[in-house]
Amino acid sequence: MDGAVLHLGSGKPRMSRDNASAANGVASADERARKPLIKLDKLSKHYGNHTVLDGVDLEVMPGEVLAIIGPSGSGKSTLLRCINYLEPPDGGHVTIGDISLNAAAPAGRSELSTLRRSVGMVFQSFNLFPHMTVLRNVSLAQERVLGRSRRSADERSMQLLSRVGLADKAQQFPGRCSGGQQQRIAIARALALDPDVMLFDEPTSALDPELGLEVLAVMRELAETGMTMIVVTHEMSFAENVSDTVMIMADGKIIEKGPSADVMRNPQEERTKRFLRAVHDR
Amino acid sequence: MLPSLEELSAWLPDLLSGLSISLQVTALSLLIGIPFGLLLALGVLAKSRLTKILALFLVEVGRGAPALVLLQFIYFGLPTTGLTLGSFTAAVIALAWNTGAYTSEIIRASLQSIPHGQREAAVAIGLNRLDALRYVLLPQGLRVALPALLAFSILIFQGTSLCFTIALPELVSRAYEIGSNTFRYFPALLAAGVLYASISIPAALVVSHVEKRAGSYAQR
Repeated sequence: MDGAVLHLGSGKPRMSRDNASAANGVASADERARKPLIKLDKLSKHYGNHTVLDGVDLEVMPGEVLAIIGPSGSGKSTLLRCINYLEPPDGGHVTIGDISLNAAAPAGRSELSTLRRSVGMVFQSFNLFPHMTVLRNVSLAQERVLGRSRRSADERSMQLLSRVGLADKAQQFPGRCSGGQQQRIAIARALALDPDVMLFDEPTSALDPELGLEVLAVMRELAETGMTMIVVTHEMSFAENVSDTVMIMADGKIIEKGPSADVMRNPQEERTKRFLRAVHDR
Repeated sequence: MLPSLEELSAWLPDLLSGLSISLQVTALSLLIGIPFGLLLALGVLAKSRLTKILALFLVEVGRGAPALVLLQFIYFGLPTTGLTLGSFTAAVIALAWNTGAYTSEIIRASLQSIPHGQREAAVAIGLNRLDALRYVLLPQGLRVALPALLAFSILIFQGTSLCFTIALPELVSRAYEIGSNTFRYFPALLAAGVLYASISIPAALVVSHVEKRAGSYAQR
């Protein structure tokens, strides 16, 4: 499957890399964009004796699209899940906008709720709620978390569903939708809280290449609107063409991070070279 | 051996009023017992140690002790502590406890059978724990649990026959009464048995129908 993805990636029109970097250039000239939106300090996570995250420092600027790549078990997904505290980190700090959480102290409920409101997350396995219509899936959190009325939540949901091209599926149940459609609905659901940043945990890994493509198209459009995104992915074409920054992880550490063209075409670290070679040889 | 038609028509009013009591005890035991089972399931899954231990105690006693023993304990045992209950109340409490204990395990297993990603997605979109339970986990979990809960309801209906030991005038008691008045024990009990079956067998058919449909979200 990976081979097919690569082939697909190289055949893709290369429009957005330049667009994205141009847009990003404008954004970084903006004063407020100088302050990172997300800042991780010495973030660590252990399972027993096994160290999954080994003091990760990371800054992500507003509007930046960061792709995280690396071998399995390198801690990419755990890093993502620590950012919104789906897995509470064991040490370090997570700062998103005005919220700052210290992993050493237990997080309060209101802090966690604010954190999760400002972070949208998309999972590898979609995790839509199968017992609700597509519309309810997108509306539920707006009603329960943002306190919107059913009507205004549904209105907003329909906008979001149109944006991912699935307004006609609103009254269906997720089980009737293809994997690609489900993942697009999941993106709409995550966007429904108007998050400051969107996290994607291997959003196309459970999809065949064709369906993955429609999800990547939605993600690319989202990136072009200036959404801050952190994407754990095995889609090298996305890392190279859509993201602004690429970061390689291995063994719970950041091996290399930089502008995507530099890292993907001219990696400095031996570990990065080895990983990219392995990917391209497939 | 078989009751004659005259006997049947003479017994039927008594037997039917016994059946009505059996059904009332069943309904109340389930109405109280299943929500109690839900609470016990949540208690067993709770993070708080005290809640967990208390819930486990109630579940293990309720499951560990035969329903007959629970009945006897509540009806004959509790009065020694100063609490005297009517046989109807005692029957409902004992069977509701029994129901709660068993259904808590059914509900707990169903909740745990829901893919972990569902809870994660609920948390990630900012739902608090109660909302995650109410909107995401319970609707799915109860759907999984439904066939087993219905099957258990049939068992509880049959279990009400134990209440004849605490002088509740339910179906078996009535059949016994008829037997001791007429010495026609076997025909009277046979008639009672047919009445039990006339409820249990259609109910079992409903359960198997529900079982086939459960879990098919997309077909609604």
